Amino acid sequence: MSQEDTNQMLRDAVGGFAARDTSIARVRALRETDPGFDRAVWKKIADAGWTGILVPEKFGGAGLSLPEMAAVLEEFAKTLSPEPLNAVSSLAALTLSGGDNEALQARLLPQIAAGDLIAAVAWQESESGIDPAAIETTAKEAAGGYALSGSKRFAVPFGADAYLVSAKGQGGVIVACVDKSAKGLTVDSELRADGTRVARLKLDNVQVAKADIVASAGAGARALGQAIDQTTILAGAELLGVMSRALEITLDYMRTRVQFDRPIGSFQALQHRAVDLFIQKELSFSVLRDAHIHLAQDADALALWASRVKSRCSEAGMRIGRESIQIHGGIGFTDECDIGLYLKRAMVLSAWLGNGAVHRRRYAALAPALEAA
Amino acid sequence: MQTRDWDQMDDEAFRLEVRKFFQQQFPEHLRYPPHHLSWAQTKDWYKKLYAQGWAAPAWPKEWGGMGLNGSKMLIFIEEQERHGVARTPDMGIILLGPLLIRFGNEEQKKEILPSTLSGDFIWCQGYSEPNAGSDLAGLKTEAVLDGDEYVINGSKIWTSYAMDATHMFILVRTDKAAKKQEGISFLMLRMDTPGITVRPIKNLLGVEVFAQVFLDNVRTPARWLVGKPNQGWTMAKALLGFERISIGSPKLAQAGLEKLEQVARQQGLMKDPAFVDRYNQLRLDVADLGSTYGRFAEIVKRGGTLGPDVSMLKILATETYQRLTELTLEAAGDAGGLAGKVDFNGMPIDILSPFYMARPSTIYGGSNEIQRNILSKNVLNLPG
Repeated sequence: MSQEDTNQMLRDAVGGFAARDTSIARVRALRETDPGFDRAVWKKIADAGWTGILVPEKFGGAGLSLPEMAAVLEEFAKTLSPEPLNAVSSLAALTLSGGDNEALQARLLPQIAAGDLIAAVAWQESESGIDPAAIETTAKEAAGGYALSGSKRFAVPFGADAYLVSAKGQGGVIVACVDKSAKGLTVDSELRADGTRVARLKLDNVQVAKADIVASAGAGARALGQAIDQTTILAGAELLGVMSRALEITLDYMRTRVQFDRPIGSFQALQHRAVDLFIQKELSFSVLRDAHIHLAQDADALALWASRVKSRCSEAGMRIGRESIQIHGGIGFTDECDIGLYLKRAMVLSAWLGNGAVHRRRYAALAPALEAA
Repeated sequence: MQTRDWDQMDDEAFRLEVRKFFQQQFPEHLRYPPHHLSWAQTKDWYKKLYAQGWAAPAWPKEWGGMGLNGSKMLIFIEEQERHGVARTPDMGIILLGPLLIRFGNEEQKKEILPSTLSGDFIWCQGYSEPNAGSDLAGLKTEAVLDGDEYVINGSKIWTSYAMDATHMFILVRTDKAAKKQEGISFLMLRMDTPGITVRPIKNLLGVEVFAQVFLDNVRTPARWLVGKPNQGWTMAKALLGFERISIGSPKLAQAGLEKLEQVARQQGLMKDPAFVDRYNQLRLDVADLGSTYGRFAEIVKRGGTLGPDVSMLKILATETYQRLTELTLEAAGDAGGLAGKVDFNGMPIDILSPFYMARPSTIYGGSNEIQRNILSKNVLNLPG
C-alpha cells in the first residue's frame, strides 16, 4: 500500500472515531476536570491502534513513522479531544525507544501501545526553555540506581501513571521512569487555556532503580532531543488540524451570516482577510509536507525542520484562531460559540514545546549560512 | 540548429547542460539586470539562443521549439533565474506562440511562427487600456470589419517592449451588444501600420520599458484574426496558469534575502535583536514560499493542470519580495535614500532598484487584489 493510501485509511479511521466516540459536548464537559481526559476514550484510541503507531512492531506497535502519525494527529486534533495522544504516544514512546534500556522498552512500550500506560515526559523546568540539557534537576548515584531531586514543569498529561524525568547525572543528562506514587514525588497541576492540565513535579530524593533508567548519561540528551523534535513536528500537524477546522467553521459562518441584507462573506474586506488566513494554512501544509519529504532522505536535519514547522504552524494557528473570533463578531467572544475552543487549543499547542518566536530564533541558529543555501 | 529529444534525457543531466550553456554563453554584464532590457541590448544573446535551438523552450519541436515537458520547462526557468539570465522582448515566444499553436490556423502558424522564432518579428501585447486594468474585460478598443480588413480604434497601455516591437497582438471589442467577456476578439497587426502612435512611459526607475499605444483607424488583414470572432477572452485566459507559477518562483526572493543580508552586515545590524527577529521571519517566509512552490512544481512535473489555488503562489512570492526590499531600504539607513549603486564600506549595492522593481509585481499579471478575489470565489467558495 502506498503511503498516501495508508494515510487516507488512517484519516478515515479518525473520521469514524470523531463521529462515534467524541463530540464538542464531551470536550466541553471535560474542561477543568481532573485529570481532564477520559481513560475509557483513551482505551478506544488504543484499540484503534493510534497509541502504537510509532512503537516498534517487536514491542507491540505498528512501527510506522512520522507521516502516518501526523495524518492521525491532524485529524484527531480537529475533534479537540483532550486525550494526550501526541504527548504519550509520540513524546513518551519516542523517548523510551530512543533510550538505551531495552529491557525497560520491552516492559513499557507494549503497555503504551495497548493504552494501559499513560506516561508523561517531564523534561522542562521553569527557566529551561526548550533546551533539554539546560536543567537543574540532579541525579545522584545511590545504592543500585539514582536519587533525583529538583522540580519540573509543563509535563503532559497531568494524571499520568508514570513520568519520564530528565536529570543531570555525572557525565550528562539521564532520563528516569518515575512511578506516580514514588516516594518523594509530589505532582500538582497547572490549568491550560483550553481546560486541560499539565503536571508540575517536585522531586525530593526520589529513588530510581537502574532497571528504570530509560536513557543513561550517554544517551539521554540525544534520546530526548530527537523525541522532542519529532513531537514538535507532530504538534505542527495538530495545529494544522485545528486551524483547518477553525477556518472551515469561519468560512461557513461567512456564507450564512447575513448583515446589510447580504451574507458577510460577500464583503471584499472579509474575503481578502479569509484568503490571507487560507494562505497561512497552506504555508503550514507546505512546510509540513516538505519536512516529511526531506526527513525521509536526511534525518540529520530533524531539528531544523522541527523549528521551521513549529514556527509557521504556531504563528498560523494563532492568527487563524484570533481572526476567526473577529470575523464571528460578538458571538465569537462567547463561551457558547465553538470557535473559541479552537483558538484556545491553538494557544495551548502554540505554546507547547516552544512557541513560534522561540523556534524562529532556533531556526536562525541552526540554518546554514545563506551563501551555502 | 539542434533538434534533440530532451524527453530521453534525465532531469539532472538536462539541468547541468542548461546551466553550463548559460554560464558559458550569457554575457556577464547583462546578468541580473535592474529592469527589463531592450532588444538592442539582448539581440546578440537571443541570436545565440536561436542558433542553439533554445529560443522557444516550450514550443513543440515541429515549430522549432525544444518541446520541453513541464518538468524540464521548470528546470530551464530555474536555471535562467539561477544565473540571472535577462528576459529578452519575449512576448511572442511566451504568449503568442503557444496561443497560435493551440488556436491558430495553419496559414497563421506558417506565416508567424518561424519569423517570431528567428527574432524577425518582435511582439508586444495589447491587453490593458487606460480604463480597463483589473477590469480587463471592460476594454473598449474597437475593431470593425471592412471588406477583408479590420479597422481598429482605441488605445492600449502598459505595453512592454512597444518601442522595440514590429508587431502587436491585441484584444479588441468586436461585439458591443454581447456580455462584456463575449464580445472580444484576438487580432494581430504590424506596428508600422499607419495610424499607430507609441508614447513611451517613464516608470519609477526612470526608464522607459512600457508605453501607451494609440490606434487611429489602424487596418489589419482579416486573416490575422486568431480563432473565431468574439472568442479572444477565452483564448487569452486559457494560457494564464503557467505564467502564475513562474511569477511564483522563490528565486527572486532568495536573491533579495542575500542582498538584505549584505546590507545588514555592512550596517552592523546583525547584532540588533529587533532587526534580527524581522530578518529571521523573512528567512522563514522565503523558505516556506520555496516549499509551497515545490508543491505546485510537483503538479506541473507530473503533467497535471494547475488549479485556481496557484494564485496564492503569486501573492506569496511578490509580497515576500516586497517586504524584503522594504527591510533592505530600512536597513540601509540614510543610504536608503540614495539612488543608483551606493557605497557600503567599499561594496557597491543598489538599494532602490529592487524596491522599485518589487512595486509593479503585485500589480501586473492580475493584481494581488484580483488574485485574492479569485481565491475567495473559486477556492474558498465565498459568495460573490
